[in-house]
Order: sequence, then C-alpha cells, then structure tokens
Amino acid sequence: MHWGGAGGGVELSRKIRSRNRIVIYALMALVMIFFVGPILWFILLAFRHPSEAYTIPPQLFFEPTLQSFERTFVDPGNNRPQVLNSIIVSTGATLLSLPFAMSAAYALSRFALRGKDFIMNWYISLLIAPPIVFVIPYFILMSRIGWAGTYQAMILTLQTLAIPFSVWLLKSFMDEVPLDLEEAAWVDGATRLSAFFRIIIPLALPGIIVTSMFTFVFSWNNVLFPLILSKQSTTTLPVGTISFFASTGVYWNQIAATAVVAMLPPMLIFLVLGRYVVRGLTFGAVKG
Amino acid sequence: MNLNRRLPYLLLAPSIIILLALILYPLGFALRNSFWFWNLQTSAVPLYHSGLDNYRMVFQVTPFTEALKNTLLLAGLGTLAQFWLGMGVALLLHTHLRGMGFCRALLIMPTTLAPVVAGFLFRYLLEPKGGLLPWLLEGIGFPVPPQGILGYAGTALFAIGMVDTWQWTPFFAIVLYAGLLSISEEVKEAAQVDGASGWRMFWSITLPLLRPIAAFLVMIRFMQLFNSFDLVFVLTGGGPGTSSRTLSFNLYREGLVNYNIGLTAAMTWLVVIIVTVIINLYIIFIFRKRDW
Repeated sequence: MHWGGAGGGVELSRKIRSRNRIVIYALMALVMIFFVGPILWFILLAFRHPSEAYTIPPQLFFEPTLQSFERTFVDPGNNRPQVLNSIIVSTGATLLSLPFAMSAAYALSRFALRGKDFIMNWYISLLIAPPIVFVIPYFILMSRIGWAGTYQAMILTLQTLAIPFSVWLLKSFMDEVPLDLEEAAWVDGATRLSAFFRIIIPLALPGIIVTSMFTFVFSWNNVLFPLILSKQSTTTLPVGTISFFASTGVYWNQIAATAVVAMLPPMLIFLVLGRYVVRGLTFGAVKG
Repeated sequence: MNLNRRLPYLLLAPSIIILLALILYPLGFALRNSFWFWNLQTSAVPLYHSGLDNYRMVFQVTPFTEALKNTLLLAGLGTLAQFWLGMGVALLLHTHLRGMGFCRALLIMPTTLAPVVAGFLFRYLLEPKGGLLPWLLEGIGFPVPPQGILGYAGTALFAIGMVDTWQWTPFFAIVLYAGLLSISEEVKEAAQVDGASGWRMFWSITLPLLRPIAAFLVMIRFMQLFNSFDLVFVLTGGGPGTSSRTLSFNLYREGLVNYNIGLTAAMTWLVVIIVTVIINLYIIFIFRKRDW
C-alpha cells in the first residue's frame, strides 16, 4: 500500500548505486537467514526420524516422516485434546473481553473525560505489569472456590491482559469513525445506544475483528496462566510442548511436531491481518 | 443531559470493576500474607504472624538482589539491542529495493511465536551435543563451553537475551519501518536541499521524528523483558545455579515450587513497588506528551 504508488520509492531506489545495492541485498539475506532460518530448521525437525534429531554435520535433505505428528496427535495423541483446549480458552477469553472493552473504548473515544490520560495509562500499566505477581494468588484462590484446573479460571484471569489490550486497540479504531455520522443519526432521533449499534458497530467492525484476532493470538500464545491454572485435561497446546521434557529424555521431534501445530494459528492470523500487524502489536498507538 | 454526563463513566465502569477485582484480590492477598508464615507444603492456611520476617528472608533465602540485577541487565541490554538492530533492519526495508515487501512480510514470523516455542526452538539449536549453533560457532573458531551455552553461568543469561532479541527485533524493525514511512518526503527533501548528509539527516531529522514511537516501543519491550518468565523457564530454569534467575522466575520458584506463600507474598510487594516506580518514571518523563 505504501509503496504501491511508489513514486518516492522508485526514485529512491534509482538513486542507490548498484554497488550499494549488492551490499544491501547481502545484509538483507543475512537478516532473513538469521530471523527466518531457525523457524524453518525447527519445522524440518518435526518431519525428521527421531534417530536423526541431531546429525552433525546437519543434513538438509532427508526422508521426511510423519511419525512425530502421529505420536502427538493420533496415537496415543496426548496433544490432540490440547488443541481443543487452546481454542476454548483463547476464544473464551476473546469473547468475554469484547463487551467490556467495546463499551470502555467507546467512552474513551467519544467523550471528553476528565482523567482520560490517567485511565489510558492505567490500562496500559496492567498490560505491562508482571503477570506472575497475579498468578500465584489466583492459583490459591481458584483451588479455594473449586475452579482449579477449569477453563473459566484461565478465561477469567486472562482478562487482566485481554481487556486492557482490547480497550487500547478498539479505541484507535473507534477514533477513526467520523463523529458526523453519529451526530446525523442523533439528529434523526436515534438514541446514543441505537446510534452505537447502527453506526459505530458496523463501521468499527473491521477494527473489532482485528482486535479479536489479536486477543485470540495473545491468549493462544500465553503460557504462564494455563501452566499454573490448568490441569492435565484442560491444558493448552503451548504448555503441552513442555510435557516432552521428561526425565527419561527429551523428545525433540515430538516437541517440534507439537510446536509446529501450536505456531500455525498465530502465523496464519498474522498473515491475514497484513497491514494491521503494526497497529495491533503497538496496541493501536502506531497506525502503520 | 445528566445521563449523558454520567454515561461515559457507566460505560467504563464494567471493565474497571472487573480489572480492579482481578488486581486487588492478588495484591491484597499478598499484602496480608506477607506478614504471615505460610508454607503450603505444611499447612493449607497461614500458620502464624511473623512481622517483617518474610521481607528479610526475601534477601536472605532467595537470590533476590541477583535476580534484580539479572532482570535489569536483561531488560536494559535486550531492549537496547533490539531497538538498534530493529532500526538497522527498518532502514534496509526502507530502501524499497525489489523484494523488500516480501522480506518484511516474512520477517514478522519470530514475533508470532509463543515465547515458549521460541525457547524450545533455541534450546534445540543450542543443544551442546548435536545442536546447530555450537557446531557453527566452533566451525568459525568460537570456543563453546563444554556444558553448553545454556549450561554455563557466564553465558546463560546472555543466551536468554539473545533469544528474546531474535524474537522481538523484527517487531522493532516493522514498527520503525512504519514510522519511517510516516516521515514526510518534504521534510527530508528540505534537509537535502540544505545539504545535510545521510548520516546527519538520520541523527537530526529521522531519529527525533521517530522519538514518540521509539519511546512507546522501548517502554513496552523493556517491561515485557523485565517480566521474562517463559524463556527463562524453558531455556535455563534460572540456572545454572541461580545465574540466570529473573525476578519473575524467582517468584515462581518460591511460590510454586517451594510453596513458600508468605515469602512469595513479600517478594510480590517488593516487585510491585519496583515496577510501579519504573512505569511511573516512564509516564512522567517520556510518555506524558502522548500525541496519538
């Protein structure tokens, strides 16, 4: 989008002499090898035969096998239920945060509030506070009220991250819905509530979807809360990778197979999010 | 009219109430228990009032000062490395040479991973026998400690920082690149007309204009690194010894491995105070003039 019209870009690249161009490409190649290479290498591990987990010198070509995926997801398939658990917890956390975040974001976007900066800063301080501080008391609280190991324990406590994040990101999207449209609806006799549902929700819908996708990814990738608040039957997929760190040895191929499945949804969602990635990762602060 | 004045507060109330409940419970719980002796292994309830003993014990029984030092080192150096490496990559992307758009799209991959997955990935690559990285490092004549990079006290914390830097440099690169795009061509052209060199332009035009974005990114990353738990858990378990313990991992060890709830509660409050100071310093000095 930015380079689509590319007037400036093309001109700029013409200015770069061909010797410099080679240097830039060489540096970029190193950057890509360093940042993307390890992931590809780990994905290959999931398809290697267990006896070839480490071969020195490393083999790039080998006969791929699905054995590790079979072990982890089919027979005995200990990680299969964890996929569903991850979906339940992440979806639950996302859905629960939305009504809270939507109303708060609307208030912060549309009203001249006293202490608005303070409130925004308060939300973000929760987002960057150390979660371990909260998790240990939750661990004791949940066993006291009989919620230990339940989905709702994880879904509820994840709100400490999901709500502040969604408020920030949703506010940035609601700020972009022109006030005129809403005012026109009021003139036509709509109440604030019906204008909210008829104007704001439809126009901010892409933003609501983007926010939900990010909340889903962050909940999916969260390990601390399920590590401490889940039990074996409710634990999530990223936590499941840890279980192969047995005292009998480390099953690298199975860790990799589980990790590959765990990394797929976030990667696909980021791919779909495209130009919203910058905005989501900065909680709406940088429009991108 | 009256309702309209109260409406925004009514709309904010649900989220603030649920969040306050979710925060005040743990903080209150920790405050109360920080003055009690309570080990979950011996008792399901607090045993006896112990005054300030827990606060003293935090320094005597756990490597709190070492963990604090490790945490600040990790967060400070990690953020610094990620910012400048990310800036470098952003400048490469900003040359707009053919293929840079594609690189930018692929580059986000590490940032999408769960930290625990990134941790396993590098634990595999760093494995002392058969790992790719020790093999490569030895190949270029770099001595690798026999217990492995993660198993050697001098390099374990550094390795955690390196993995985090691997995961989050692309984040800096992509956001700073978006920032570079937002700097208007006119500003740059005016500077060029004035005869500013590329280097000069970067320091006196580009960097100051990126300052609000940079300040925001640095704050977020500093705090996320400050809270590091997942990577420490998977890569080193805080070891060898206590050489790579962070504050978060120290809390985890005391609370959920040793089940020393009273002591953990005291440590929780010490950490809360430190974090509050850092965040408020940040808000007061750098973050106050927010203009987004």
